[in-house]
Amino acid sequence: MFGEQQRFVLLLIAPAALLLLLFQVVPIFIGANASFRNWALYDPKKTWVGFDHYAAVLSDPAFLYVVLPNTFLFMALSVAGALLAGLALALLLNRPFRGQKLVQTILLVPLMVAPVVAAIMVRWIFNDQFGIVNVVLEAVGLEGQPWLVQRWSAFGIILLTDIWLWTPWFTLLLLAGLQSLPKEPFEAAAIDGTTTWRVFRFLTLPMLRPVIVVCVVIRAIDAFRTFDIVWTLTGGGPGRATELFSLYAYVHAFLNLDLGRGSAAAIVGGLIILVIGVALFRLVDRIAKA
Amino acid sequence: MERLAKLAMATTVALVAAAGSALAQVKELRIGYQPSPIQDASIAMFESWGAKNGVKIVKVPNSYGVYVEKMTASLTSNSDQYDIIWHNDDWGQTWAHLLEPTDDVNANKFADKWSMAPVVFANAQGQNTVVPMGQTFSVFFYRSDLVKPEEVPKTLEQLVTVSKKLQADGKVKFGYVGGMSMNNSWFSWFWSMWGNNCDVLLPPYERDNKKLAEAGWKSGMTEPCMQQTAEYWWDAINTHKIVPRGMPAYDRNEANAVFMSGDAAFTVADSLWWSTFNDPAKSKIAGKVAATRFPLGPNRARPFAWNDIWGWAIPKSIAPERKKLAKEMLEAMMLDEEGQLKLWKATGAPPPNTTFWPKIAAADPFMALLKESVLDSPDKVRGAYYFPQWPAVHKAFNDTVTKAVTGKREDIAKVLAEGAPLVSKAAQ
Repeated sequence: MFGEQQRFVLLLIAPAALLLLLFQVVPIFIGANASFRNWALYDPKKTWVGFDHYAAVLSDPAFLYVVLPNTFLFMALSVAGALLAGLALALLLNRPFRGQKLVQTILLVPLMVAPVVAAIMVRWIFNDQFGIVNVVLEAVGLEGQPWLVQRWSAFGIILLTDIWLWTPWFTLLLLAGLQSLPKEPFEAAAIDGTTTWRVFRFLTLPMLRPVIVVCVVIRAIDAFRTFDIVWTLTGGGPGRATELFSLYAYVHAFLNLDLGRGSAAAIVGGLIILVIGVALFRLVDRIAKA
Repeated sequence: MERLAKLAMATTVALVAAAGSALAQVKELRIGYQPSPIQDASIAMFESWGAKNGVKIVKVPNSYGVYVEKMTASLTSNSDQYDIIWHNDDWGQTWAHLLEPTDDVNANKFADKWSMAPVVFANAQGQNTVVPMGQTFSVFFYRSDLVKPEEVPKTLEQLVTVSKKLQADGKVKFGYVGGMSMNNSWFSWFWSMWGNNCDVLLPPYERDNKKLAEAGWKSGMTEPCMQQTAEYWWDAINTHKIVPRGMPAYDRNEANAVFMSGDAAFTVADSLWWSTFNDPAKSKIAGKVAATRFPLGPNRARPFAWNDIWGWAIPKSIAPERKKLAKEMLEAMMLDEEGQLKLWKATGAPPPNTTFWPKIAAADPFMALLKESVLDSPDKVRGAYYFPQWPAVHKAFNDTVTKAVTGKREDIAKVLAEGAPLVSKAAQ
């Protein structure tokens, strides 16, 4: 049925495929099964309830008017912020200077910090009594703020933390992209005396676009399921003001111990990200072809 | 070939015998717990018993943040991962059907009756499912170097006036501080609400699920007393400025840090913080702390207290010989006077055996105070609700009051009214 080469390829793929099947595909099916059943974690009756959980999620005003808008806003701003910061740093690091390697290494530090640890640090940095941010503000005569008590300041801190964590990732990939660009167009532009901005606008950016788009697609999908930093920083609060999709599913499944409802929420989120993912991949494809 | 078969058979028999023997002679007990002073002190008693009886105590720490969900999954999957687990009144009814009855732990007769009430820990057959580890409840702590006992606020209104005076005199930055975010409601919302004849569900203070169901799981969010409570905290934050503006987001650790740094005159915290508050290595106010009853709101005249236990439970799914050994150890722990005195000294939590209380109270004024104002108080309220949906109800409550206190004052009634059906729905 298969040739020797095909059998060898299948053999190489098999361990990864098996792991994927056991730890990704099977849990999705178990979760999907739970989403159609009365499945409390403390008393799993597992009676069939059809689409009841889905109807409850999709008719929940908190899900529609707080959780989804928050999630999309977070996804857009977090990806845009980290992309801009990462691109700026990559452009800076793309020109030789003394201590470049050291700076490059230091910039990678956030990638080595566990998101939960980063979130705990940031929570204390913005603590209204002991946090360094308010100490600095008060030292220059400004009033310290209760950062985590208001919706938009709390949301901003979550964004800041996420951007800080993910900027090095963008920097690393965009720097690799920059270093792989052909030198000739840039040399020609230099001979023509083109301004730095025009070189960036009409050479660097268009040539780097495929790398940028791939980074954005991967990171956007990942940002949609952000959980750890939000849970640690605000717990979705104040009230439910900074609740994202993943927290919504987690609270139902593991705080309320309602695995059925939590699974339904997760599946709904999975379908949303599937649609977004397909749209983004089509975009990548179009850009690559262009 | 025949020799090989005999050898295989002999090996199999030896292995089976060894396994059976290992099962019969249980040599270790695995404890699922959350590291904290009270649990550490209780486990120290287990270890002392284990050393005497040749049983190895294997400690398996779990994070508080995921404890309930992780342990619930462990219990429902019938795993034998733990022989004894930390149990709590909040989950009394969530786990009751998954736990081994402990009526045959004879020393439970020395446990506090109020805390061990069937409404909290009994299963459907009316059997008890816990052995207490220690009493946990909150008290109103104050700075004894700043406030004389006769000047301590007895009402919520006095809490404002005394706080403002202390702040005006430059003695403290804030009058009061306490945890307020989700799962920290006890340290601000609950005590002030219960002290104002108010409760999450109606009728107030009712914990019989049948009666709550008869009342339609009606929430108390739209009661005038609840609006008073929310307005009280809004004013405390924004008008009187007696509490930090960041308090609605505080957990217990952040609030305790403010109190221990000497920035607040009053706080509500679990009594087991007594030792930490008085530890000079951790606290700037060591030796300057006292405790008393909660200040009351305008709707209540009689003082109140709540008194719950943290305890130990045995999963139903473990082997009978392990259950037997676990019960022996818990029995010994309940009778370990020396260990329980150490637990008291290390934490400030009254130990589980009530017969030791008078002796401790005679030697320690703080225990005397707790005994008089909480343990022996006839006016107790229960510190949680005892049905599996309680975490969802608590979250719906906390989300609503947090939204109310962080919004505009004139919107408080509207926000509470919007939250009322969510609290009620979460309970059903």
